[in-house]
Amino acid sequence: MLTIKRRAIPAIALAATAVFALASCSAGTRTENANATQVSCDYSAPDGNTTVNVLAYNSSAIDPFTDTMVSSCTTENVTLKHDPIDFGGQVTKTTATLAGDTGTYDIVETYGFVIPALADAGKLLPLDDLFDKYADDYGLNKISASMREGMSYDGSLYALPMQAQMFVMAYRTDVFADLDLEVPTTFDEMIAAASVIRDAGVMENPIALPWLATSDVTTSFQATMNSLDADFVDADGQVTLDTPEGKEAVEALLALKPFMDPQVTTFDQPKVQQQMFNGTAAMSIMFSGRMSDLVDSNNSKLSESIGFAAAPKVNREAQYSYNRLSIDGWSIPFNTPLDSEMLFVMMASAVSEEASTSAVPAAYPAREGMVTSENSPYGAAANESMATAQPPVVSPILASVTTEIRPILVQILTGGISVSDGLAAMQAAGETIAG
Amino acid sequence: MKTREFWLLFFPSLVVMGGLLVLPLIRTVQWSFEEVRYGTPGVFVGFSNYIEAFTDERFGKAVLSTVTITIVTTFLLLVFGYLIAVGVNRMTRSRPIILGIMLVSYVLPNIVGAVAFSWLFDDNFGGIVNRFIELLSGNQVLWFTDQVPNGILIIANTVWHLVPFAMLIILAGLQGVPVELREAANIDGANPLQMHINVIIPTIRGVLGFVTLISIMDVLRLFDNLIPLSPQAQAIGNESIMLYVYSVAFSNGAQRLGLGSAVNVLTILIILVMLIPFIRSIFKEAKVVR
Repeated sequence: MLTIKRRAIPAIALAATAVFALASCSAGTRTENANATQVSCDYSAPDGNTTVNVLAYNSSAIDPFTDTMVSSCTTENVTLKHDPIDFGGQVTKTTATLAGDTGTYDIVETYGFVIPALADAGKLLPLDDLFDKYADDYGLNKISASMREGMSYDGSLYALPMQAQMFVMAYRTDVFADLDLEVPTTFDEMIAAASVIRDAGVMENPIALPWLATSDVTTSFQATMNSLDADFVDADGQVTLDTPEGKEAVEALLALKPFMDPQVTTFDQPKVQQQMFNGTAAMSIMFSGRMSDLVDSNNSKLSESIGFAAAPKVNREAQYSYNRLSIDGWSIPFNTPLDSEMLFVMMASAVSEEASTSAVPAAYPAREGMVTSENSPYGAAANESMATAQPPVVSPILASVTTEIRPILVQILTGGISVSDGLAAMQAAGETIAG
Repeated sequence: MKTREFWLLFFPSLVVMGGLLVLPLIRTVQWSFEEVRYGTPGVFVGFSNYIEAFTDERFGKAVLSTVTITIVTTFLLLVFGYLIAVGVNRMTRSRPIILGIMLVSYVLPNIVGAVAFSWLFDDNFGGIVNRFIELLSGNQVLWFTDQVPNGILIIANTVWHLVPFAMLIILAGLQGVPVELREAANIDGANPLQMHINVIIPTIRGVLGFVTLISIMDVLRLFDNLIPLSPQAQAIGNESIMLYVYSVAFSNGAQRLGLGSAVNVLTILIILVMLIPFIRSIFKEAKVVR
């Protein structure tokens, strides 16, 4: 009896360890959603077992397309593999997988901001021929022409657009109604509304913007410049930071700062969402993919007090809104050993009409006319924002210039250096990249 | 033990260590003299990566910040580890429960613990510490954007994470202090403070040296907890050496693997310099024992 007891304990411990090990093996290896849309994915499968590795960050706007691709295109012999990853991880892995002659991924999620640099370096396969071949089968001509343009470089398409995000303003309808405020359409109107809200003792910091010092802050600066019909570089690749538009943009951001949390340069979009959930901000401007979370009653008791409006302009005379149009899409890396036609069919199925329809309201699909005020709480605002966004400046150095100027911009916004010194430093840093 | 038996038992460890430690170290040193990007062979550039690191103000600030945090954290680990170990050493029946509770912070993955720790100071997620401070003083502390408060935050989290380890090792050392020594000190009229300073601490100085050595090595490689605790680390001067390496070698599409390797080599040298006194002391003690 004693011998059996002595053997039983190690055996139980071993069994428990094995259970944990097996459970952890399967955990997180797939993001296939049980609710993913099933669509047609008709490709010619290669002989033998094949694994297709998909790189795409997880977000409520991207997951519907990724999940549809994985669940619809996986067959007995072909397995689509997608592991959970955040946006920062995707950026790092994209750089690594595209670096050499062989890579780790066969389909990568890309976005308009990086297409020029990657296409210019020959890291992505042009998709024009495949697009023309499968356009009728998958209704690809219904994908917005301007979004296809946004994912093109030097006349060739390098990513199949799946969805887009644009800045949308979210605001507290109850606070605005109580204080008889109009929805702001310019930065000055935002400041005026914030002053009234603060003076009424409702909130100390009524404005919330994502200004994270390691990423979002340059997006905000770029959106401000875009409102003034300018960008970090012009279409000829000349750096245009130390300019009247650059100065006006920085000063406009500094004018908003007193009405934001003092630690705003540590806030990414989730923290801005948290401020809206908590009721510590009355106005926020973020990418549209963050909007549906704000009206989810599981996230906040204030979900029914959130309204949406188009992104404002920097001033009344500005041609465009304070906005960035970020188009997400699927690309084929130059170094994949798999058949590009098979991969394109998988990508096309993931952006099919059924997949796009089911992605609303979490995503703003690239297919035209999918998002309306009827099927999305922020649909009208998103459509209006999109119509007032500046057409993007296409330059392969834009991403590198953005990374280089970011620490300097943070110094300006935190008062470390003056506006004029900061603009000069950013101009010099950008020109070093431009060569 | 026969030589053959020794090598049979030791060889697997040697292979693993060689593969996981020695080979990467050789590659790191090699790359430190090259300009290396992902997927392409490196191009020899001599000492230019080291020159760039030494002349980069940002690297200098990272070294200063990391060494300062390391010295303060190590000191606090020794003090708190010792005090807690003395307290736990006196426990009998409740010791396993107290040890189990204390070990939670050590076994939690560093990033998970740091995220939860940050919420105590972040108004967006409750910020309970901020509530107390405002209640008592009426002031607001900018934990994430002011350099000194942020440094305190990082040190507090690191101490919280590592003090169970320090306490456990010191506790083991305390249990090795001969009872006769304490009794003799008591007879000689030593009060508790004199007992600790003149009898116990000198007796366990080897253990304290070991804790110091491991703490310095761990804290100098500070990285994980800076992500949630110091999102603006570079801007406020609290960037660690490892965060600097990550920025230049990996993040935002960067591919300065050669520069990152050079900084890693310099970090190893800094660690060795800081550990020299303790390594010498350990070797001395080992000689005496032989």
